[in-house]
Amino acid sequence: MTEKKKSKSKSSEGIGGGSLGEALRVPALAVLTGLIIGAIAIVASGSNVFEAYSALFIGAFGDPVRFFSGFQQLFTTGETAGLLRAIYPFTESLVTATPYIFAGLSVALGFRCGLFNIGAEGQFFIGALCSAFVGYSIVGLPAYIHLPLALLAGAAGGALWGIVPGYLKARFGAHEVVNTIMMNWIAFRLSDWLLNGPMKASGFRPVTPNIEHTAELPRFFPDPLRLNWGFILALIVAYVLYWFLFKTTLGFEIRSVGANPDAARYAGMNIIRNFVLVMALAGGLAGLAGASQVLGVDHWVGQGFSAGYGFDAIALALLGKSHPFGVVLAALLFGFLRSGATRMQSMAGVPIDIISIIQGLVIIFIAAPAIIRWLYRLKSVKVEETVLTRGWGK
Amino acid sequence: MRTLQAARAGWFIAALFLSACVSATPDCASKDVFCVGLVTNIGKINDKSFNQSAWEGGVQSQRELGSQVQYIETVDPKDYDKNIATFADENYDVIVTVGFSMSEATLKAAGLYPKVNFIGVDQFQDEEIPNVTGLIFPEDQAGFLVGALAAMMSKTHQIGAVCGPDVIPPIWRFGEGYRAGAAYADSLQSAATKVLIAYHENNDIAFTDVEWGAETAKSMMDQGVDVIFGCGGVTGNSAITTAAGAGAYVIGVDTDQYLTLPEAAPRMLSSAMKLITPGVLNLIRLAREGNFPGGNHLGEAGYAPYHDLESEVPADVKEIMEEIKAGLFDGSLETGVPSTKP
Repeated sequence: MTEKKKSKSKSSEGIGGGSLGEALRVPALAVLTGLIIGAIAIVASGSNVFEAYSALFIGAFGDPVRFFSGFQQLFTTGETAGLLRAIYPFTESLVTATPYIFAGLSVALGFRCGLFNIGAEGQFFIGALCSAFVGYSIVGLPAYIHLPLALLAGAAGGALWGIVPGYLKARFGAHEVVNTIMMNWIAFRLSDWLLNGPMKASGFRPVTPNIEHTAELPRFFPDPLRLNWGFILALIVAYVLYWFLFKTTLGFEIRSVGANPDAARYAGMNIIRNFVLVMALAGGLAGLAGASQVLGVDHWVGQGFSAGYGFDAIALALLGKSHPFGVVLAALLFGFLRSGATRMQSMAGVPIDIISIIQGLVIIFIAAPAIIRWLYRLKSVKVEETVLTRGWGK
Repeated sequence: MRTLQAARAGWFIAALFLSACVSATPDCASKDVFCVGLVTNIGKINDKSFNQSAWEGGVQSQRELGSQVQYIETVDPKDYDKNIATFADENYDVIVTVGFSMSEATLKAAGLYPKVNFIGVDQFQDEEIPNVTGLIFPEDQAGFLVGALAAMMSKTHQIGAVCGPDVIPPIWRFGEGYRAGAAYADSLQSAATKVLIAYHENNDIAFTDVEWGAETAKSMMDQGVDVIFGCGGVTGNSAITTAAGAGAYVIGVDTDQYLTLPEAAPRMLSSAMKLITPGVLNLIRLAREGNFPGGNHLGEAGYAPYHDLESEVPADVKEIMEEIKAGLFDGSLETGVPSTKP
C-alpha cells in the first residue's frame, strides 16, 4: 500500500525533510492502521464495521446522496435548504476542528522553542472567560470594534497565563511542565469561582450571560449550521505562524533556541526573551482557541467548558510534527473523527469510545514511526529531528 | 496512469459508501417507522442513573411499541445542539434529552425542528411549547416515602436529612416531604420521631460541599440520629458515604443509589426515586398515539429496593410502605407539602 499522491518536491521546512508526500506518508498510514485496528474493536463490540465506517464518513463529510439531491434542488427550484442540510455534517467537522487548530498551534510553537506547554487547557479557559467578559459586559460598541476587542481579550488572557511559567522558566529555571500544569489548576478553580460568582448570569446554572451580538464571530449559514469566521481566522493564524517561524529573524532565533540553546546563546541570542515571548504567544494562541469557541459557537461560557482541547492539542502538535500546516491537517483529522463519531453512534450504534481508541492508536503510530515503516516496508528516510522538549534544568 | 488508478480506487470506495448508507438506516421520515433518539447528558448511557433510566424507557418502547431506538452519548456540553440535530436531521419522531442542563439546547432544537417531539427529562417548562414536554416528578412524594421508612426503621427515633439549599424548589420538596412522611409514619405507629433537616445555604458550593455534607452527617449522628437521607448532589452523597461508614442506615436520592454509591451500598436502606423509565415510556406512547401533551408532565415517585438490607426490614414495615405508595399514587394520601418554600 503505497501513497499514490503526487509528491511534488516542494520543500516544506521542518516537517521532516524530504518532500511533502514523504512527510505525509507515515501519518496517512498511521491513520489507516488506526482505522484497521479500530475495526477489530468495532467487531469486538458487536457492530458491523462497514456500517460503522460509512456512518463515520457520512457524519464527517455528509451524505453524498443528499449532496446530489441538494444540488438538484438548487438548480431546479433555487431552494438552498437541501444543500444546507447536506453540508451540515461537514461544517460541523470544521467547527470541531477550529479550537483544535488554535490549541495545536499553541503547543507546536512551544515545541519549536524546546518548551513543553501543557498549559494550553488552562490558557484556553482563561481566554474563553476574558473574551466572554468583554463580550457581555460592554454594550453599544459597533461590531468592528467589539469583536476584535473580544478576540484580543481572549488572546491577552491566554498570553498572561503563558507568560507566568515562561518567565519563571527563564528567570529561575523552574520547569515549564510543572508550572503550566499548576497554572491549569489555577485556571480551572478560578473559572469555577468566576462562573459561580462574579461572572454568573441570573439563575442556578453556573454560566456567564450571553455575549452581545456585536461580539459574535459572524456565521456563514443560518441555524443550525454553526460554521463561522473562527475557522477562517484559524487558517490565517496558522499561515502567519508559519511565516513568523520560517521567514523572520525572530522565528529563526526561536527555532535555534529550540534546537540548541547553548549554541543560540553563544550566537548572541537572548534566551530569556525568547522563552517568555514564545510562552506568551503560545498562551495567546490557546486563548484564541477559547475565544473562538465563545464568540463563534457557544456565545457563553459554562462550567466544564472544554472537553480537553488543550490536552488533545499536545497530540495534535506531535501528529503535525510541530509544523503549522501539519497541525492544521491533524486538527482537521480530529475534527472529522470527533464529528463523524456522533453519527456512528446514532446510525450504527457504535460507542463513541471507539474514536478515542482510534485517536490513541494513531498517536502511538505517529510517535513510533518505526512501527509503520516496518509494517509497510517503507525505506527509512533520514529525518531531521525536531527537538520537542528538554529535560530539567537548562 | 497512477492518478487514473487512484481515481478509480476513489470511485470504488465512494460507491461502496453510497451503497452502504442506503441500507444502513431505518427511514424515520416514513409514517410506519417510529424513531426514538436519546441524547445523554454528559456521561455514559450505562451510568446507572438518569441516562440509563431514560434509555431503558426507550428500550421498553422498542419492545412495546416497535419503535426504532438509538442513542448518542455526549462528551462535551457544546455538542448538545449537534447531537440533537443529528437525530432531528434523520427525521426522528421523538428525541429524549436527559437532565436539567440540557434545557436550553432542547428548547432551541424544538424551535428549529417543529415536527419533532422532545421529551426533556427533569426539565421544568416555564411556558408551554407544543412539541416539548418536560418530564418532572413529585419530589415531595419520593421524600414522603423514604421519610416514613426512615421513621419506622430508626431505633433511636431520631432521623436526619442532609440537603441542598431549600430555595431550590425540588430540594425543598424532597426535604419537607421527608419530614411529612416521618410524621405520617409516627401517626400510624403512635411514635414520636425527631426529624433533623439541614439545608445547605445557597451559595456556589451548595451541591459540591463534601466537607459540609460529611460534617453535618457526623454531628447528626453524634446527637443520636441513626438514619440519614442525603439529597443534594455531591454534598448529599458525601453525607451518605460518611454516615454509612459510621454504621447508620442511609437513604439515597433521584435514582437507586445502591448502584451508584458502592461504598455506601451495604447500609443503603432505599432511595427516594424519580421513576424515569415509566415516565419516558409513557410520553413516547403518547407521542406515538398523536397525543403528545406539551408543557409539563408529572411522572411518578417511588422508593428503591432494600437490596442488602432486605432481611433487616420487618414485614409490616414493607407492607406499610406499599400502602403509602399506593395511597400517594391514587391520591387518597397527600403529602401536604407546598411546591415552593413559602
